[in-house]
Amino acid sequence: MSSIQELQELIHEKYGIEPSALDPQASMREKGLDSLALVEFIFAIEDRFGITMPDDDPNIDTLAELAAVVDRVRAAQTT
Amino acid sequence: MPVVVTGLGAVVPHGDQPDALFDALLRGDSALAPIFPELPKPAVAATVAFDESRWFTKLQLAGVDRVSQLAVAAADLAMRDAGAIGDVEPERLGVFAGCGMGGAAALEAAYRGGGRVPPLTIPAFMPNAPAAHVALRHRVQGPVLTYSVACASSAVAIAEAAKAVQRGEVDVAIAGGSEALIVPGVVLAWQAMQTLATVRPGEEASAVRPFSTDRSGFALGEGAAFLILESAERARARKARVYARLAGWGMSCDATHLTKPDAPGQARAMAQAVRQAGLLPRDVGYCNAHGTATRIGDPVESEALALLWGEGLGGLRVSSTKALHGHLLGAAGALEALITVLALHRRELPPNAHCTEIDPACRLNLVGARGEAAPALEAALSNSFAFGGTNSVLVFARD
Repeated sequence: MSSIQELQELIHEKYGIEPSALDPQASMREKGLDSLALVEFIFAIEDRFGITMPDDDPNIDTLAELAAVVDRVRAAQTT
Repeated sequence: MPVVVTGLGAVVPHGDQPDALFDALLRGDSALAPIFPELPKPAVAATVAFDESRWFTKLQLAGVDRVSQLAVAAADLAMRDAGAIGDVEPERLGVFAGCGMGGAAALEAAYRGGGRVPPLTIPAFMPNAPAAHVALRHRVQGPVLTYSVACASSAVAIAEAAKAVQRGEVDVAIAGGSEALIVPGVVLAWQAMQTLATVRPGEEASAVRPFSTDRSGFALGEGAAFLILESAERARARKARVYARLAGWGMSCDATHLTKPDAPGQARAMAQAVRQAGLLPRDVGYCNAHGTATRIGDPVESEALALLWGEGLGGLRVSSTKALHGHLLGAAGALEALITVLALHRRELPPNAHCTEIDPACRLNLVGARGEAAPALEAALSNSFAFGGTNSVLVFARD
């Protein structure tokens, strides 16, 4: 299962950005989630899901890519 | 080249409208109130009712401490107040900001997080963050500088900004400061320093009593204030409203003791500022005193004023507005400069509140508790004296 919807909810809660305003395939940086905001968002993801995200991956640019990493970490934790 | 003040902005315990804030001071409204009832010793402070959503989206708040939020808001209000500042090249615009501590809330959250430290703690905490955020907001590409000189921080910043305008290094300077350190850990540290006023239940609002025999220290305040400085020539050309001329400034260091003030050191800074303004002490009608209401500080400042004014001391009206707005530390010089500018502009003097009986060791002509009209006021001075021994004095004159 993809974490996209949960991440969209967290983005809405934290930053007030509607899920419809953030295309999972679009660059998050272009929506104002720059490198600093993203670092903070990843911290919030860790708190929300009780996971530890891998060190910063500079290739993460879209919400879909971020969700894929979250999915992988969550899957590894439950096995 | 004369330097003038063409914009005022403040986000302080008495609100964010300079004239309303001045009116509140004239009424003697105190912004001091009890804080943190969980602390072992009672504490009072003057805090700001601040709605950050007026200046930031939730996304923009990532890694922005309250101290920077207040700075952005106050600097923005100052820029708006200055009206259309005209064509200023981004690299001809500067920010000169005072800050004593930096992002105290960010640091406290890091300590209290139980090992989970927010990743943006460092950029949120760094003392130059407020200036940097103001620069980002107004695309300032000239000098963006932070002065951390304890309680003189923003008075030093304003003096340095004036120099940059005078030398023609910038066309417009956004000069002031911000401080926001009212968090439990920092309040405990200040209580341990034994400089805060004793708080009697029911008398929180009048806990700070500058120059009074029964004074016992200051109360912490938070907030930000900025002035827009530019050359008189530029202001005239764009038909700007001029509040006052920043006529002189003086800086000195006591070099005698880390925290104990020194009258000759303070007097040197005042003499320099008055001389630079081309005035004699008797030409200055009002002094917004540093007046922290500590046992030791007030008589030393009185002595310093006496050193310079001599027999003429009675002609100088004095008040410490810290009784009402608290001690904003790194932002104190900026707020008190703004109050001094308004005193000149409106020709009204804010009161020296809560002084029940003047200490014989402070023989000053204090402004009464209701404030006073000053129809002949032509020049006024604002004192800021820091731990570390640095003294910064600003002299403003009617344009």
